[in-house]
Amino acid sequence: MAWWKRGVRRDETVDREIADHVARLTEDYVAQGMTAEEARRRAGVEFGGREQVKQAVREVHLWPLGEAVVFQLEAVLRFLRKAPGFSLAVILTLALGIGANSAVFSAIDTIVLRPLAFPHGDELVRIYQHDAHGRDANTFVAPQRLEDWNRLTSTFAGITGYYKDDLSELSGPLPEKVTLGLVAPRFLAVLGVAPALGRNFVPEEEHWGGPAVVLISHAFWLRRFHGDANVLSRKLRLGSTSYAIAGVMPEGFSYPDRDVDLWTPSAPDAPFALRRDATWFSVIGRMKPGITPSQAAADLATVQQQLGRQFPKPDAELTTSMEPLKATVIGDVGKSLWLLYGSVSLLLLIACTNIAALLLARTAEREQEIAIRFSLGASRRAIALQLLSEVVGLSLLGGLAGIGVAAAAMKGFHLLAEQLPRASEVHLNWTVAGYSLACAVATAVLCGLYPALRATRLGPANGLAAGSRGQVSSRNPMQWVLVGVQVTLAVMLLTGAGLLLRSLDRLGHVDAGFDASHVLTLQVSGSWGETTNMPAVVQRIDRTLDGLRTLPGVEDAATTGMLPGVPGKYQNEFKVDGKLDPARKVLGESRWVSAGYFSTMHIPVLAGQPCSRASTNPEVLVNRAFANLYLNGTAGVGHVIEPAVHGDFEATGTVRGIVGDAREEGLNEPPAPTVYSCYSAPNPFPNYLIRTKGDPMAMADAIRKRIHALEPARSVFAVMPLEQHLSDAFTEDRVRTMLLTVFALCAVGLACIGLYGTLSYLVRVRQREVGVRLALGAMRRQIVGRFLLQGLRVVAMGSAAGIVAAAGMSRLLRGMLFGVSALDPVTYASVVGVILAVAAIACCVPAVRAAFVEPVKVLREE
Amino acid sequence: MAPLEKTDLLQGTLDLLILKVVALGPVHGYGIAQRIRQISQDVLQVQQGSLYPALHRLEKRGWLAAEWGESENGRQAKFYRLSAKGRKQLASEEQTWNRLAGAVGLILLAEQ
Repeated sequence: MAWWKRGVRRDETVDREIADHVARLTEDYVAQGMTAEEARRRAGVEFGGREQVKQAVREVHLWPLGEAVVFQLEAVLRFLRKAPGFSLAVILTLALGIGANSAVFSAIDTIVLRPLAFPHGDELVRIYQHDAHGRDANTFVAPQRLEDWNRLTSTFAGITGYYKDDLSELSGPLPEKVTLGLVAPRFLAVLGVAPALGRNFVPEEEHWGGPAVVLISHAFWLRRFHGDANVLSRKLRLGSTSYAIAGVMPEGFSYPDRDVDLWTPSAPDAPFALRRDATWFSVIGRMKPGITPSQAAADLATVQQQLGRQFPKPDAELTTSMEPLKATVIGDVGKSLWLLYGSVSLLLLIACTNIAALLLARTAEREQEIAIRFSLGASRRAIALQLLSEVVGLSLLGGLAGIGVAAAAMKGFHLLAEQLPRASEVHLNWTVAGYSLACAVATAVLCGLYPALRATRLGPANGLAAGSRGQVSSRNPMQWVLVGVQVTLAVMLLTGAGLLLRSLDRLGHVDAGFDASHVLTLQVSGSWGETTNMPAVVQRIDRTLDGLRTLPGVEDAATTGMLPGVPGKYQNEFKVDGKLDPARKVLGESRWVSAGYFSTMHIPVLAGQPCSRASTNPEVLVNRAFANLYLNGTAGVGHVIEPAVHGDFEATGTVRGIVGDAREEGLNEPPAPTVYSCYSAPNPFPNYLIRTKGDPMAMADAIRKRIHALEPARSVFAVMPLEQHLSDAFTEDRVRTMLLTVFALCAVGLACIGLYGTLSYLVRVRQREVGVRLALGAMRRQIVGRFLLQGLRVVAMGSAAGIVAAAGMSRLLRGMLFGVSALDPVTYASVVGVILAVAAIACCVPAVRAAFVEPVKVLREE
Repeated sequence: MAPLEKTDLLQGTLDLLILKVVALGPVHGYGIAQRIRQISQDVLQVQQGSLYPALHRLEKRGWLAAEWGESENGRQAKFYRLSAKGRKQLASEEQTWNRLAGAVGLILLAEQ
């Protein structure tokens, strides 16, 4: 039976019992000779209040029935009504602490802690090859070597690889750019994934001349075929080849990255794949269960040495390395997330401290009330129970709000961090939310209960005495310590946020050496297959560039292999004038740019000439850093530069000119010595850079139309301003800075709530003392000053401790800062200034309120 | 003799009285009050405000068992009787009371 039904049933029983009692009493009086009327009246009077009796019986049964819960809930509601400001402060504090903590830890859990979405993801590794002398930055692997590795190693269940190609799909009404993943044999087997629909590639499809098939991504299936279940009978047309659709991959499978639409086998036995110096594949391997990464790495190194003896050129020059696949997927994001987690934990700590301070103040204020109730006969258990339910009620409300905050934060995270790896997998983790909730509730209960127990133990006499003394300052230290700790933590967070904000600001104002404004970037689809006839590719790209340059509104256009300012390095070793100096390596970044690049990017040519439009001789330009370091400065024009190792891409040529230093490798990197090769087709789909007179996006349509007129079978994609690329490249920095700033502001807010709450409490308990002082002629100014000083003294001490702690912790930020020192005095000074100013405001309100106490009124209350 | 004030009734004594009276045979609430009054020759008068909560408390502790039955005049009444547990409790409380009363008596008998 439900507890409330049982309660109702019992009430009825008691009613009947009482009625029976009164009836018998009446009968007795009648028997004694009274009239029925008189007897009933006497019986009623003698029995007394029925409701009181019923209530007394009810109380016998109260605990542990659910009525107790209702009773306590009523108490909580009463409490909320009576102290709305205090309740709101506690609920907000909890909501912020729990919400932020749950959201950030959920993100960490998904991105860093949980393994990749592949089965036994810990067994997966990326494998690289390196030039033993560090002369070539290329780590891509030839198909033949990949097959050798797979066959000869004993510690791997399988080794496979992939590269990407952008193509135009022509079976629809308009050419559509698709990204094709060209995969070595065993691709799905190594990843441990099977198609959701259809089948994997069969061996004959993985050989040269086998049937042309593709697997399509779930997104492409929905986009292109609207999720048609009969898709396996359809065909796709890429270039001149028609492909059968073998299967559809499961939703969420997007390896190597999100924009891959199709996967097709790349046959290792194709005639053009036999060169051992080809640099094609990004390689992944799956270690056998129980094999450690070091065993696998040693095995691979042994196999490579063996290959070096068998094929001295080029295998003897190559070494191998590997790293966990997860590390390559998440990159450095893990570090940022741990930083955020540290910050958000500080925030939770502040929240807990804040609740502790608020509850201590609140309960101390109620000590008198508790003492009175105690002396009126309330049991210690009843009082403790009531205080406990108030606190638990508040905690639960705060917890609910916190989960709301966390859910909203997750939404925000998805919007903000779209560019970050695995961001789409991030969901609110209920275990984490539960943990944060438990932390906060435990704090609340401890802090709420402790004073309650103390008050009841004190005994009514002492409690009342303490209350009426009107001087409770002896009990303040604990609360002030808590407030001081909050200020310290807030200063730490604010300092971290300040340093990151200044870095970001510096990054925005850095002199890049090139002008990214008014530049539109785009790519035109092309295929690696075209590289069998490179002159034709060069001709096509030059023709497109010429077409763009004559478009009204376009100032200049160029192509480049890597976008300027977007982080990316490609360091090679060079020979100058055919000589290799073993004592001094000539190292430089390699960049491939077309004619017009320097004028498009507004990079000054300091000496000599820029890339010429129609040169048949290989030409290079170097930047000032390279010229100063290796070529006697501007006198370097005319020297011959060639790579120390000849690979697929060659930068041999006569130095035609020297250009200004530009931050090509990322805005946060100082310009490195750089060699520019004048070559418009570093790959079949280079980045176009188009300088426009007005808003670059306004020109996008006209530019698209012009390219379509020149190349009707090719698609134009990735159309966006260069500034957008630069900003995207720093998404992680921006998200990190923004989140830390939000946390820091929350922390400052919480510290202020704590400060305000504690000082308000102090003002209230010392009202009488203030009244007496005022009555004795104290100036209001003095009263304000006293309270203000008391608050600010704690803030000053907290800030000092915070600055020291922040300086100690700032080492953690070092890799994330740009252009400011971890001990930047401006940041530290501003933080202290902000904290003192905000704290002064928080202190002012209660301090001024204290001074406007009406002495007469207060003393009369006494 | 005038009835004693309620507050004079030693705490815990009411439970003992109820258990003893109920031990004499199943009885309803009104009967318990009457018997206590009669047997004490009107010295002890139990207030209803204390009686019923005490009955429910003793029932909840398992010392009394209660059931609805027909009384002598044909009306339904709630009859209380002593459980085995209650009988043990009564014995122990009786013993405690007697020791206490004996001790108090000894002190009062002390010669000046």
